[in-house]
Amino acid sequence: MSPSPVNLAIEAGGIAFRNPILTASGTFGYGREFEGLTDLRTLGGLVTKGISPKPRYGNATPRICETAAGMLNSIGLENVGVEGFEQEKLPYLRQCGTRVLVNFFGATFDEYVACGAALDRLDGVDGLEMNVSCPNIKAGGIEFGTEPRVLGELVRACRAVTKRPLWVKLTPNTSDIVALARASADNGADGLSIINTISGMAIDARTRRPKIATIFGGLSGPAIKPIALRMVYQVRRAGIPLPISGIGGIQDATDAIEFFLAGASTVQVGTQSFIDPDCSGHIVRDLEARLAADGVTDVREIVGALRV
Amino acid sequence: MVRGAWGRDPLLPRAFSLMAVGPGGTADILAKTVGRGTALLEKGLPGAELDILGPLGSSFPSPRADTTDLLVAGGVGLPPLYMQARLAAEQRAVDHSEMIYGGRGAADLVLLAEMEAMRLPLFLTTEDGTVGTQGLVTRALEARLDRHRGTSVRVMACGPNAMLWAVARLAKSQGVPCFISLEEQMACGIGVCLGCAVPARSRPFRYVCSNGPVFDAADVLDVVPEGKPPGVAAPAECPS
Repeated sequence: MSPSPVNLAIEAGGIAFRNPILTASGTFGYGREFEGLTDLRTLGGLVTKGISPKPRYGNATPRICETAAGMLNSIGLENVGVEGFEQEKLPYLRQCGTRVLVNFFGATFDEYVACGAALDRLDGVDGLEMNVSCPNIKAGGIEFGTEPRVLGELVRACRAVTKRPLWVKLTPNTSDIVALARASADNGADGLSIINTISGMAIDARTRRPKIATIFGGLSGPAIKPIALRMVYQVRRAGIPLPISGIGGIQDATDAIEFFLAGASTVQVGTQSFIDPDCSGHIVRDLEARLAADGVTDVREIVGALRV
Repeated sequence: MVRGAWGRDPLLPRAFSLMAVGPGGTADILAKTVGRGTALLEKGLPGAELDILGPLGSSFPSPRADTTDLLVAGGVGLPPLYMQARLAAEQRAVDHSEMIYGGRGAADLVLLAEMEAMRLPLFLTTEDGTVGTQGLVTRALEARLDRHRGTSVRVMACGPNAMLWAVARLAKSQGVPCFISLEEQMACGIGVCLGCAVPARSRPFRYVCSNGPVFDAADVLDVVPEGKPPGVAAPAECPS
């Protein structure tokens, strides 16, 4: 194979990636599920399913439903827990040939810190991504990540227990994404993932029931791309000094390029991996071709290059 | 998992059971138009280009010479049992298989000539009595279980959930092993989205796409309809 005419390699948030195409947490399992369906060695990186200190079995069913150009889910953060992750999942990930970010969360402040500390000790983890979209049970169920002061304290506490690259995955369920980004930056985060799913609901008019058991769920898919682009751009424009990993409805290389233009250094492909398990591989190949056709020699040239 | 080239909406592929696998990598599925996705599939025929990921998941247990398999199909739940019947025919085990096939009316029953050609005993039921015996498949199943009492029998079923639970309870009451093929909303088909969870006895949840769709009914019977397994503690409204 001839050498690539376009440089796709990028350093972002303390991690050197071979290209800026990652797979998003919750849509790529623990990587191994995609063995034989895509070549992980061609991806920039993968972000694991969210890990909590103890295993979680997840929510009642039905857990998902399709919506217009999207889907709602309320899986309930089902995962194998830190210990299960280390024993059952990490050995594969250590040799899978791509960068591995471990997404993590807790049901309480202390659980976040304990989980971050436990993951910090594991070999083969290139970085950590905090999922701050969980309800803070002690504070009446409001999401940790919606209140800048609470988010800042949480990020600072997790920062104190890990030297690994620490990214914060922001919730879009806010009126001020910039304040959340700033709170993360001011408290030691190395990168921002923008955005998590948008809270929504779907109703079956015939049965008069909600379509998923928990009534509310997280909306994902192409339906949310304009909101994600807007939030990435707002954070970029505000001059928050952290690299952004753009997430929300990315299905092809053009979508990825739109996120780079808005200010993302990397992107994460989510729901589309359900529809086409090899889509991230396609996007890497198409991205190179698209940039070459546009005369771009380095993907970094287009990060934040939106003309306004 | 099957999806046509119809753009971004509807978004997700649809899960289908394989009905038959032919030479040269061909396969048959049976689709009933129930919503936009299946309507688009129908509209694209013939010649539509489809993305297909499969085969995925589990199958019914293979036919056995010493056991009679009672295959129970409800409406569009026919495909996996049709495949099982073909398997039995190919293995010359049709003497040990019977098909009980029911629907609301005559229009729900398809592929009857093909099944007759396989020479396996075929018992049809319709709720409106237009074809076969009037009533539900469970009544016909009860009669066949009576007929085979004292011999080695298994029940294999696919159809609406209410039918499956009735079939599974009937089999259980007679001490007969029962396997059911379940349907659930799913996005990926490969054990990643975790949307197609079903509460089970062996574990809090099993997955229709990767652990199933065929389950030993004893593992999921009476756990699934209520939808809430014991010991599952999760904050109610945590997205993703």
